[in-house]
Amino acid sequence: MFPWVYGFEWHPGYLIFLGVFFTVAVVVAGTVLAALWRSFSAVRRKQEGRIYWHTVFEDLAPEERRCRHAITGELPERCCDREFDCRGCRMHARLLYSDEAGARAASSEQAEVCGISLPLDRYYHRGHTWVREGEDGALLVGLDDLGRRLAGGDGIVELPAPGTELRVNEPAFRLRRNGVEARILSPVDGTVEGPACDGEALIRVRPAAGFRTVHLLRGGEAAAWMRHELDRLQVALAASCGAATLADGGVAAPDLGRSLAPREFDTMCGLVFLDV
Amino acid sequence: MVERLDEGWIARGVRRAPFDRFLLWAAPWAALLALGAYAIFLCLRDGLFHTNMDNRYVFGLWIFLDLAVIALGAGAFFTGFLLYVLRKTELRAVINSAVVIGLVCYSGAVLILAVDVGQPLRAWFTFYHPNVHSMLTEVTFCITCYLTVLLIEYVPIFLKNRRLALKPSMLVFEYNLHKVMVVFALVGTLLSFFHQGSLGGLFGVLRGRPFAFREGLLIWPSTFFLFVLSAMAVGPSFVALTTWMAEKVTRRRLVKDEVYQTLGRISGKLLLAYVFFKCLDTLLWINQTAPERGFPAHRFYEYGGAFGTWILFTEIALLGLVPALLLLKPEWRARRGLLIAGAAMACLGVTLNRFVFTIQTLALPTLPFDRLLLYWPSWQEFAAFGFVLAYGMLVYSFSYRYLKLFPQERELAMTEAKR
Repeated sequence: MFPWVYGFEWHPGYLIFLGVFFTVAVVVAGTVLAALWRSFSAVRRKQEGRIYWHTVFEDLAPEERRCRHAITGELPERCCDREFDCRGCRMHARLLYSDEAGARAASSEQAEVCGISLPLDRYYHRGHTWVREGEDGALLVGLDDLGRRLAGGDGIVELPAPGTELRVNEPAFRLRRNGVEARILSPVDGTVEGPACDGEALIRVRPAAGFRTVHLLRGGEAAAWMRHELDRLQVALAASCGAATLADGGVAAPDLGRSLAPREFDTMCGLVFLDV
Repeated sequence: MVERLDEGWIARGVRRAPFDRFLLWAAPWAALLALGAYAIFLCLRDGLFHTNMDNRYVFGLWIFLDLAVIALGAGAFFTGFLLYVLRKTELRAVINSAVVIGLVCYSGAVLILAVDVGQPLRAWFTFYHPNVHSMLTEVTFCITCYLTVLLIEYVPIFLKNRRLALKPSMLVFEYNLHKVMVVFALVGTLLSFFHQGSLGGLFGVLRGRPFAFREGLLIWPSTFFLFVLSAMAVGPSFVALTTWMAEKVTRRRLVKDEVYQTLGRISGKLLLAYVFFKCLDTLLWINQTAPERGFPAHRFYEYGGAFGTWILFTEIALLGLVPALLLLKPEWRARRGLLIAGAAMACLGVTLNRFVFTIQTLALPTLPFDRLLLYWPSWQEFAAFGFVLAYGMLVYSFSYRYLKLFPQERELAMTEAKR
């Protein structure tokens, strides 16, 4: 039974002691192997993105996980527990203006929050990307004004290759600037068709079957969210870098990468793109 | 350049000291580590004559250190048990720190044991030639297994480092390991229960040492259970104490007040239970066990000085009952100073208990012609002790700097900034 144990005897003392010890060893080794196998399977099934967002979401502070309906004042103090994916949220369904109503709410108006432009003809994702339906049914995806100010003129946004499958809340782009790297989340489910040509959007995406925009923000809700975001950024930046921002009520600089110190820029990228 | 590289490893959204200041903090510990490494090298190369231990005084500073750090490191298994099994979710805020403390304590203890045994290359003999009737064998097996478990528990914390987490496969493995952490929490609890107990049982079965010998249940002397209970009681206290020290050194709030309250409350309850059973055990020993072995208990304290009755009073009342009350009464516990004082006293009390069992037991004469033995460690013993201390400080400091030890840190910093 335990041939490798020197001097083993068929004695209760040996059996109990070595039995317990080897059981523990097998359980520990088996559990590690199971974790390794699950990881291998997850990588093979391309679930890294989902797991990445799950892990990041767990690390967000309650203030950063505030429900969209808490931001608009409908449900104060409510925190999101669905990783910002409102598509299966019952509370959201109860409060929701339906997709059609949301679409009607969207218009070609241009809102502005503390100098950040917020066109209301599109849907916004909480990771500071937007989606707009193109004329041919494809979706155009881009960075919002705050995201663009972070990328600046010399930032490199790595786009996914054509044919890449995107899923909501999984990393789609990477921003590299000033030695900082940040992952940017996808607002849509679909397949990348290629880079967009309209100068504002980054890529064109063919939406997945049954794709809905319920999890995205629009209209007045988006404006309330942007105000909340700017408040959050100001507080978080002060907390992590000790920097006083917007203390006298100014507007955000056009190129934040140049205006902020490297450490502040790094923190800002993490906060804006939810890559903490 | 180095600063930029350093910043790339620090988690986003948290503040850390500038790199040069961090180096300044680490330098004295590195120097102590180097001195300890030299002493350890001497002991391994030449043998234990570098120490002041001898055939009579076989347990010295190192075994005392082992017992003390293993008791204090119990916070790792017990916090894990409270979080993953009993679902005390507020302790998620300190579980990473508790794992690092446990890892430091246990790896430090194993390292010192390797030096003390003196033949690290033959360490595997204990697994191949196990004496299944020996408490020491159980301790060796359990500590080895538990150190492995602690290393596994440290892996997800390590893999969440900002730079490593950029590799998706690392994050996936971290996630999957985290999902099975309850298994490691349970295994850790089982292993810790037995080796903490066996360390106590080791002294309780010393029939030739009436000062330590205790009656018990079946094959387990009462010290088996008292060591388990005391380690469980002091583990949360040590976690609270180290967290508070980290807050003081870094000048940042790292966990919410409710976490301190939970740790203090649990520690207080268990400490009170421990003090109660320790009193019972001591009374039984004074009135029955010791006289039956031919030694009235007062004889053990006749030597005065370092080993007078004050030590018994200090251990049970001053560093047992008083901290238990400080931690139990909500009004006192609510005051941070009293809570930390209680936690520190509890840790000192258990450390003193391990000192009594290791050092006092061997110092007291057992035969009529024996005399009280006094022992003072050599510089090599102190230096090796310092090695473990410095190693612990460095591992904890680096872990704090580059890993997410306190998940509430960002949130608390934001709350402070709002004010």
